[in-house]
Amino acid sequence: MFLPRVLHCDRRKMAAFMLSRRTAVLCRTLKGISASKTVLPANSQCGLLLQTASYNPRPLRLNIRDPYIPDKDSEKTPEWQKTAKYDRKLFGRYGSASGIDPASLWPSHKELDKIIAEENEWHPPLEVMLKNIAIKEKAETEKRLAKEKLIAANMAKMPKMVADWRRQKREAKLKLKEEKARRTKLLAEARERFGYAVDPRSPKFLEMVAEIEKEEKKKKKLLKRRLKEEQAAGVVQPPPTSS
Amino acid sequence: MSFPKKPGGKATDILQNLPRITLANLRPEPGSKKLWKRLLASHGGNRSGRGHKGERQRGNRPRLGFVGGSTPFYLAIPKYGYNEGHSCRPQYQPLSLKRLQYLIDLGRVDPTQPIDLTQLVNARGVTVQPLKRDYGVQLVDEGADIFAAKINIEVQRASEGAIAAIERNGGVVTTSFYDPISLGILIKPVPFFLRGQPIPRRMLPGEDMVPYYTNAENRGYLADPEKIQQARLALAQKYGYILPDISKDELYHMLSMRKDVRQIFFGLAPGWVVNMTEKKILKPTDEKLLKYYSS
Repeated sequence: MFLPRVLHCDRRKMAAFMLSRRTAVLCRTLKGISASKTVLPANSQCGLLLQTASYNPRPLRLNIRDPYIPDKDSEKTPEWQKTAKYDRKLFGRYGSASGIDPASLWPSHKELDKIIAEENEWHPPLEVMLKNIAIKEKAETEKRLAKEKLIAANMAKMPKMVADWRRQKREAKLKLKEEKARRTKLLAEARERFGYAVDPRSPKFLEMVAEIEKEEKKKKKLLKRRLKEEQAAGVVQPPPTSS
Repeated sequence: MSFPKKPGGKATDILQNLPRITLANLRPEPGSKKLWKRLLASHGGNRSGRGHKGERQRGNRPRLGFVGGSTPFYLAIPKYGYNEGHSCRPQYQPLSLKRLQYLIDLGRVDPTQPIDLTQLVNARGVTVQPLKRDYGVQLVDEGADIFAAKINIEVQRASEGAIAAIERNGGVVTTSFYDPISLGILIKPVPFFLRGQPIPRRMLPGEDMVPYYTNAENRGYLADPEKIQQARLALAQKYGYILPDISKDELYHMLSMRKDVRQIFFGLAPGWVVNMTEKKILKPTDEKLLKYYSS
C-alpha cells in the first residue's frame, strides 16, 4: 500500500484512513490509463480545496497475493486453462508474475498474415470504398436521367397521340353508323320486295343483296362512262371556242 | 498542519467528522412509506379484490392478446415492411444538450479535457449496449437554448442544431465511427486491459456510412478540415450567430485534439498492451507488427 496523493489531516484519522484506501485504489486504477480525470477525494478535506466530484470507480480486485497460475504440464488442469487466450488473461491480471512471455501476446507472423488477408478482403480501404460509392451514384443518376428523358419524350408525343386516338374513335363510330344504316336500308328493301320480314341470314336475303350490288355496280359504270364522255366532250369543246 | 480559522465552529466540525453517508445511515422520512396491508377479513378479505368465481378469481386468465377465440388484433393486422430488418439497424443512444450541461454543471464531465464516449460512460451520463446493435451516441438538440459550455466532444452522430449550439459557444464537435468491437473496448477499457490483448485498430465505416462520415456538414472525422471550416461558417450564418475564433482561445490545444482514424484511446496507439497490475505499457518491436498496426 503506497501513500495516496491525498492531504492527511491529523484530526480526522479514521475518515482519512478510509478515504486514503479508496483513493489509493483510485490512483492504481487510473495511473495505468491515460485518463484525464483528476484524482480528488469525494468530500473536501478542508475548506481550501475546491470540491469537484469525479466518477466512482469500481475497486479492482486483482488478487495479486494469491494468484492461481495453472500448471501447464500436469494432466489434471483443464484444457481451456492451457490455451493462449487464458495465458493472455493471466498476463493481463498478474503481469510478469504470471510467468508468461509477453511476446506471445501479439499474433505470430502466420496469424498476422491471416489477419491481414481477412482485413483486405472484408474491409477495403477508403479509396476503394469511395470509388464504389461514386460508381453507384453515377449509375443511379444515369438511370434516373434516362427515365426522366423517356418520360419527357413520351409526354411531348402525347397531344398528337391523343388527337390520333380521338380521330380513330370518331371514324370507328361513323363506320358503325354507316354500317347500321346500310343494314336497315337493305332490310327495308327486302321487306318491300318479299312482303315479309326476311331473316338477314337466309339465302334469299343474300341473293337479294347480291342482286342489289350488281345493279349498283352497273350504275356506277354507267356514271363513269358518262363522266368520261362529258369530260371528253368538255375538253374538245373549249379549244374551238378559245381559239 | 495549521489551518486558518474558519467560520461555523463546532457544527461544521461535527458535520465533517461524521462518517460518510451509506445506505446503512439513511432511512425514509417518517410517514412517507405506507406499509403493505395484508388482506385479512372484513373489507380487505372475503374475495380479496379478485371478483366472483371464474378465471379472474382462480388466476387462470388466458395469455396477453387472447380475445376469446376470434383472430386477435395482433394477428389480424397484416404485416408490412416497416420493421423489416429492424434488428440489424444501427442504433445510437441519444444524448441531449440539456443532459450534457447537467453533467458538466455537476462536475461529472470535465469540460477542460476532450469529451469522449469513455468519459460519458464513466460519468454514467449515457449507457451504451454494443450487443444491442448500439453503435454509439448521438447528440440531440434538446436544451440547445440553455447550453453554455465550451467543449471538445466526439460523438457518433450529431444533429445540425446540436452542432450549431456547441460551436456557438466556441466548442468543437466531431462525429466518428467505432465498429462494435472497438465500441465495447471504448466503453469498458479496464476489463479490456485485463484481457491482455493488444489494442486493436479501429475499423473504417461500411460503404453505407462512409458518405455520412466524409461529409463536412456532419463534422465527420474523414472529412476535409478546410471544408469543415467552411461548413462552420455556413452554419453560423444559417443559425445567425458569430462564429468565435478558437485559434485565439487559451484552450486551443485541447480543442484541436483529435483522434487518429485508427486510434481508440487518446494517448494510446493500436498494438500496445496495457498492464494494470504493473502499470506498464508494452509496445511491439517487430517490424511486421509495427507496419500492420501503424498502417
